[in-house]
Amino acid sequence: MSFVPGQPVTAIVQRIEIQKLRQGENLILGFSIGGGIDQDPGQNPFSEDKSDKGIYVTRITPGGPAEVAGLKMGDKIMQVNGWDMTMVTHDQARKKLTKRKEDVVRLLITRKSLEETVKQSMGCHPKQ
Amino acid sequence: MPTDKYADMEEKLWILEDLNMMYIRQIALSLQDSDIQKKIDHEIRMRDGACKLLAACSQRDQALEAAKSLQTCSTRIMAYMSELQRMKEAQVMQNVPRRASDAGPMDERLPCKGKVAISDLRIPLMWKDTEYFKNKGELHRCAVFCLLQLGGEIFDTDMVIVDRTLTDICFDNTIVFNEASPGFELRVELYSCCSEDDYSAGSTPRKLASKLSSSLGRSAGKKFRAAMEPGACSPVSNGGAAPLLLPVPSVPGPKYHLLAHTTLSLSHVQDSFRTHDLTISGNEECSYWLPLYGSMCCRLAAQPNCMTQQMMGGWLKVKQCGGDPQTWTKVYAVLKATSLFCYQQQEDVEANVEPALTIGINKETRIRASERDPHSKGQNICISNRYGGEEVTHTLNTESREDTHRWMEAFWQHFYDMSQWKQCCDDLMKIELPSPRKPAPVTPKQGSLYHEMVIESSDDLGSTVSDILARRMQELELRSQLGMSPTWMPVFEENCPKSTGFPVRPCSSRLSGHSPHSPHRHPSRSPVSPHRCPQLGLLSSDASLTSDTDSHCSTSPCSHRHGWPEPPSNFSLLSSSPSRLRPRTLSLDAKLSTLRGRGYGGGGTFQCSCQPPSSSLLTPLPASSRSPLSQRSTQTTLSCSSSTSSNSSSNSEGSHSPESSEGGPFSRPSPARRSLRNLRARLDPRNWLQSQV
Repeated sequence: MSFVPGQPVTAIVQRIEIQKLRQGENLILGFSIGGGIDQDPGQNPFSEDKSDKGIYVTRITPGGPAEVAGLKMGDKIMQVNGWDMTMVTHDQARKKLTKRKEDVVRLLITRKSLEETVKQSMGCHPKQ
Repeated sequence: MPTDKYADMEEKLWILEDLNMMYIRQIALSLQDSDIQKKIDHEIRMRDGACKLLAACSQRDQALEAAKSLQTCSTRIMAYMSELQRMKEAQVMQNVPRRASDAGPMDERLPCKGKVAISDLRIPLMWKDTEYFKNKGELHRCAVFCLLQLGGEIFDTDMVIVDRTLTDICFDNTIVFNEASPGFELRVELYSCCSEDDYSAGSTPRKLASKLSSSLGRSAGKKFRAAMEPGACSPVSNGGAAPLLLPVPSVPGPKYHLLAHTTLSLSHVQDSFRTHDLTISGNEECSYWLPLYGSMCCRLAAQPNCMTQQMMGGWLKVKQCGGDPQTWTKVYAVLKATSLFCYQQQEDVEANVEPALTIGINKETRIRASERDPHSKGQNICISNRYGGEEVTHTLNTESREDTHRWMEAFWQHFYDMSQWKQCCDDLMKIELPSPRKPAPVTPKQGSLYHEMVIESSDDLGSTVSDILARRMQELELRSQLGMSPTWMPVFEENCPKSTGFPVRPCSSRLSGHSPHSPHRHPSRSPVSPHRCPQLGLLSSDASLTSDTDSHCSTSPCSHRHGWPEPPSNFSLLSSSPSRLRPRTLSLDAKLSTLRGRGYGGGGTFQCSCQPPSSSLLTPLPASSRSPLSQRSTQTTLSCSSSTSSNSSSNSEGSHSPESSEGGPFSRPSPARRSLRNLRARLDPRNWLQSQV
């Protein structure tokens, strides 16, 4: 999932819609993110390319809204409600996910297993 | 007999020193100038004191400070001695009868002196990005200070410890030189000394030193050798041009070396900050090397005396041409700065009353003495200024010829001063006098620029999440006997073999990555055994670490702590094998209490995992509990993650101990400190931040 600067980024993505859980005054999603263009990408345990400064899901609270929606640890978040997450700072990403006025976040996420799945399915059903 | 040879050398040096002192005393006597003599004596005494202190002190900081005073004293002594020699030469020259052609004008006009102040010195550093992000290895630290010399005055700044977390070396001192002439040369020298603890062996015998340097690793050995032979890197390690004249006695201990220097003069004076180039001596091989960017920013201001003091005052009669017809007004006039202030009475000058008339005296002003006015005695002086497009002329009249002459002289002198001091005379530059040294100034440790950035945390969910959790935990504690644990409970449970079947995995995954990626760990931290009863909603985390996060938790969780030593029976299941608990020390106990009181951390806002979590899956929980010392990993809970971040923040801050801000075992760090550490953890680019959303 590395990118070539200047070239468009292509990835196989999955849409995940998470309903925020209301806890009193706050809405929580139930996962943790790591990464960002202001972070050291070498310390990202989930990324394949160690220069990838994208936002990754580092922890899923079991039973939380994210787990229910199908988010998995290690997913890379590409978009949140239409906002790009591939070139943002850590704080910007966090803010986009925790907007008070939004009850639901629609994420576009990508993970390695998706590519494999697609390849397999393409392999089984060759193009006509 | 090498020792004999050294002793012999030392004796010779002492004899030389004595001879030099005698010579100096003689010069001073012949010049009948006891002032410099006294200064030299004073400095020599200071230097001896510094040497003794250096030999006696054991702490690194003290040694560095003492070495700095030593360096300053030596430089001052050199300066005074060369001053003395200059004066002697001047005297000798004067005594030699001069030929008429050599004699210049006997009464050369000298410009007035002034005050020169340099402040806000800042020297940017240029670390390689690999260095900056490097978490392994010792933090290479240097102690630096600046020596500023103008004329005969030498001042030093405070000492600053520099390591790779700093982006600039900043000196906060304001240094004011009082007797500077317009042609001054302010020499700024940056001295640095490597501050590694291992390399303070100044008195190691040579053979041992070479053995050590060859047996250590290559780079370490190189550094060691460099520290042992300061001469190799800088030929002028004594800070003097003539080492034989009062050589610095060699003392064991840290030695400062000249790292960079520059000279500033009148052309650099400005009322704002300017950047100047530095000349760097030394190279990367030297132990005292720092990667300087090559420039220095500072504010150099000058206040010539003609701008601050009254140059001339007296009674005059003033008439304005073109104004009132031929009426003379008697005023008390004072020439100061860029104006001639005319007051009605002499007392008004001190009384700060507004002058009746102000005549501008600047570079554009034209002053001439006119012909003798038949209507009044004495000569007239005409002062013409251009205001806008108009020319306004004032005529002054004095009592007598001598007065006229004195006034004209004063004006000429003033013009001369202004031409010499150039841009300093346009406007009075402000110089803030350094306030008397406050005892124990409270300066936060200099961090990198990143640490000083301010972030508003108004939208910070971290604290609010922790609030939620705190409240939930309270509810849970009440309901725990009923066996109702919500989905969140396992998050906080450690040995949950009897838990609701939620996988242990998430717990252990949070254990991961608390691996120290830097050897900077404080051994005094004693992690809490994981067997603490998690049912209490415990944040049994690495006690000393939890800092940060502005959790506004109530203090009610604290109260539960008191129930801790007598665990209720229904908790006995979970508090298994207390025998495996490490004996709780007082400080640990207290730290736990502060932890609990602080509540549940910052909602796990900061967590630093440096290992792939998959590896942690293999780590069984009990194993981690068995070796609480080796594995600093703390028990999960969201606050743990915050504690690990403070852990890593402590790493990243090198020797900066977050514990130091926790005053006493029973105090809670103030929210300000917590948020500061919070901020630092977040902003330190060496962490890989994770945020809970």
